[in-house]
Amino acid sequence: MKRIIAAGLLFTTAPAFAHARLTDSVPAANASVKAPGQIRLHFSETLEPAFSGATLKDAAGKTIPASAAVGGTAVTLIAPVLRPGAYTVEWHGVGHDTHRVDGHFTFKVIP
Amino acid sequence: MILIAARGLYFAATMTLFGEAVFAAALRKRLPVIVPAATTQLRWAVLTLALLASGAWLMLAAAQMAGTAPDAAITAQVLRGTLFGQVFAVRIVLLLALVVLLACNSGPRWVALASGMALALPALTSHAAAASPANFTVIGATLDAVHLLSGGIWIGGLAALAALFRRKEANIVLALSLFSEIAMIAVLLLAMTGLINAASILLGDKGAAAPLYLAVLGGKLATVAAMLGLAIANRFRLLPRGNTRAIARNAAMELMMGVIVVFLAGALGQLPPTL
Repeated sequence: MKRIIAAGLLFTTAPAFAHARLTDSVPAANASVKAPGQIRLHFSETLEPAFSGATLKDAAGKTIPASAAVGGTAVTLIAPVLRPGAYTVEWHGVGHDTHRVDGHFTFKVIP
Repeated sequence: MILIAARGLYFAATMTLFGEAVFAAALRKRLPVIVPAATTQLRWAVLTLALLASGAWLMLAAAQMAGTAPDAAITAQVLRGTLFGQVFAVRIVLLLALVVLLACNSGPRWVALASGMALALPALTSHAAAASPANFTVIGATLDAVHLLSGGIWIGGLAALAALFRRKEANIVLALSLFSEIAMIAVLLLAMTGLINAASILLGDKGAAAPLYLAVLGGKLATVAAMLGLAIANRFRLLPRGNTRAIARNAAMELMMGVIVVFLAGALGQLPPTL
């Protein structure tokens, strides 16, 4: 019902958010995947590259060297070949409204 | 908290500058019999406040973006590399242009143009812009800009009226009629854009509305309703009777409430609308 009212008011049904937030990622949170070449995080709005990014950590909490690229609504981590195990992605994002959001999620690499 | 105060102060100051200049321009065109009140001191005071509030807003927003304490290097990075920083730079240029305009005693149209742009520009980085449908930020930004400008016409016009009351203007009833004519359009635009902005921010998000955001929004709406009550009493009860003393009292109360509304709006811009 809320969405219908919003659509009526805004003449659209496209989702909108007041603050940037992580909408999805590849690999997804809690997924078990074969070693990914890159990790991609999608946000709800355009990010400020200078203040947005992500880091990758292994199960022991050690940072894995990975380069982060921020463009539009996405953050991409190019990681080396990951060994089987659990990994945590810690991310932070700032939208044009200057508000900072952050969080983390884990995924598993399987042989 | 200081960031909320800085935002509120900036909006209150630029709204006063803009609305006062718009009303002075309207008086000049429609009622040349009334010489606009000499508000030089008020203009300089609010322009100084706008400049100071701008600086504080930039430093605190930069710290918020970086998640650290205020720092010169981070502030410079925000100025160079973010939309907020670029908008800030244009705003500062406009405020400095206003310094020149006031120093040269320029006409109200130029002051209205520069202060209106300085008032409306933060809409580009507002919640409403971020919540625009399909990421067409221009929709939300335009609505928010109209919302800010309408608020400015109302609040700044009240400040101009207060100056006329202080001067014991002989043709105050004419000035009041003109103000109510302008303010009615401004209030209509204010209500329409406010409704759409609130709907897009709150209903466009999947999350539930944040209680604190709703409480502040409720406080803002209640205060606006009280202002409208005073405005309606002025327009339809006191003005036909020529009771200017009561109108002056109500207008002063309306102006104080308007400043409260602006600070509440400043808080809304900082609070997360949804959980």
